[in-house]
Amino acid sequence: MPDHDGSPIDRATPAPRGPHDDALVAAALRALPELAPQPDLWPDIARTLAARRRPPATRWILPLALAATLLLALLLPREATTPTASTTPAVATSRATAPATAPATDAAGAELDRLRLRSQTLERWIAAVAQRAPQGSRDLMAAVEVEDLIGLVDVQLTAASDAEALPLWRQRVALLEDLANIRGSAYATAALDDGLAAADASSIRIH
Amino acid sequence: MLAAAGRARHGGGCDQSSLARILVDVSTTSFQIEVPDTVLARARRGESGALEQIYRAFERPAYTLALRMLGDAEHAREAVHDAMLRLIERIGQFRGDSPFWGWLRQIVVNEALMRLRRDRGFDADELPADDATPGDATPPWAFADARRVEHALACLPALTRSVLWLYHVEDYTHQEIAALTGKSVSFSKSQVMRGSQRLRALLEPQQEPAHA
Repeated sequence: MPDHDGSPIDRATPAPRGPHDDALVAAALRALPELAPQPDLWPDIARTLAARRRPPATRWILPLALAATLLLALLLPREATTPTASTTPAVATSRATAPATAPATDAAGAELDRLRLRSQTLERWIAAVAQRAPQGSRDLMAAVEVEDLIGLVDVQLTAASDAEALPLWRQRVALLEDLANIRGSAYATAALDDGLAAADASSIRIH
Repeated sequence: MLAAAGRARHGGGCDQSSLARILVDVSTTSFQIEVPDTVLARARRGESGALEQIYRAFERPAYTLALRMLGDAEHAREAVHDAMLRLIERIGQFRGDSPFWGWLRQIVVNEALMRLRRDRGFDADELPADDATPGDATPPWAFADARRVEHALACLPALTRSVLWLYHVEDYTHQEIAALTGKSVSFSKSQVMRGSQRLRALLEPQQEPAHA
């Protein structure tokens, strides 16, 4: 079984080649010219690499932002019943409520399903919040950092086996929760501003 | 400078004599490029120059492989882009106990197969049994030019084309192809056989209509 992570595979078994016909079709295919990507791909790759290697000065922002919003994690919804039910999805089930009595063989699959569902829920929530609340520059940079990390996990997930996928999905959900915290703090601030503005307007009308 | 050993580029038409020459010349995959340890060491340290050197050495075989499998230039670009990023992220994990080119090629194949699974529906994309049976006559690709072979190849379903390419050009075994695609060894064999038959049919000269 080859390693889907890119490790070399066992080539000990020789390929059973067919008759002369097989060699001819192989020769015809090998004779096709090699092609290069157009336009050049390297500038795109170099840009992506540069974006991932941010200056060390910005590295402190992420842990600071995460620490500052840790409290919000307790207030954030764990799962929404529907994406449009509310602007702040209702709490449904938490990680602690995962079926502990499920058979061991199904446990990983069940957790994978749950993580995927939670991932979708968080993504919808983050997308909805991002449209409603402006981001401060520090929050934005922290969010970009987390999004990059999610991108890295996604790259690994694309070729991960089932066994490798579970920890990656856990990591993805954890990162999405971090991102939700960052987005959530901006959303809460915006909601507070809206509330104060509405109160001010109402006060002006009364008087 | 990287040694581009094993690179073989051929084009144009094929008669029997040139075909025999090709059979000798292109006995290895064009991926078989030696990367010096010094370049690998610099790449592991994240030096952009070394990473670009590696990319430049492999951009053509990597893109050609992705393009032949996916049949779409933009998808092939994306696959190579993502494969190179993945390679760069993991180059520190490369142990060096097998050829670097084989490791890189496996990453490109995985990226291409992942896209086939995601975009096209792996199960629906295979060639059914064909009525055509190989005869004793000289196969049509012996006389076909590269453009016609390329066109005929593009007419095959993506999965069949990928299996054919991995088997005939990249020297993957049926067992390896079966494991990569999540199918059986028989599936790989049948796709190679049917793909070859379909290529033959597509390259057969068109019959002239009979005059009254």
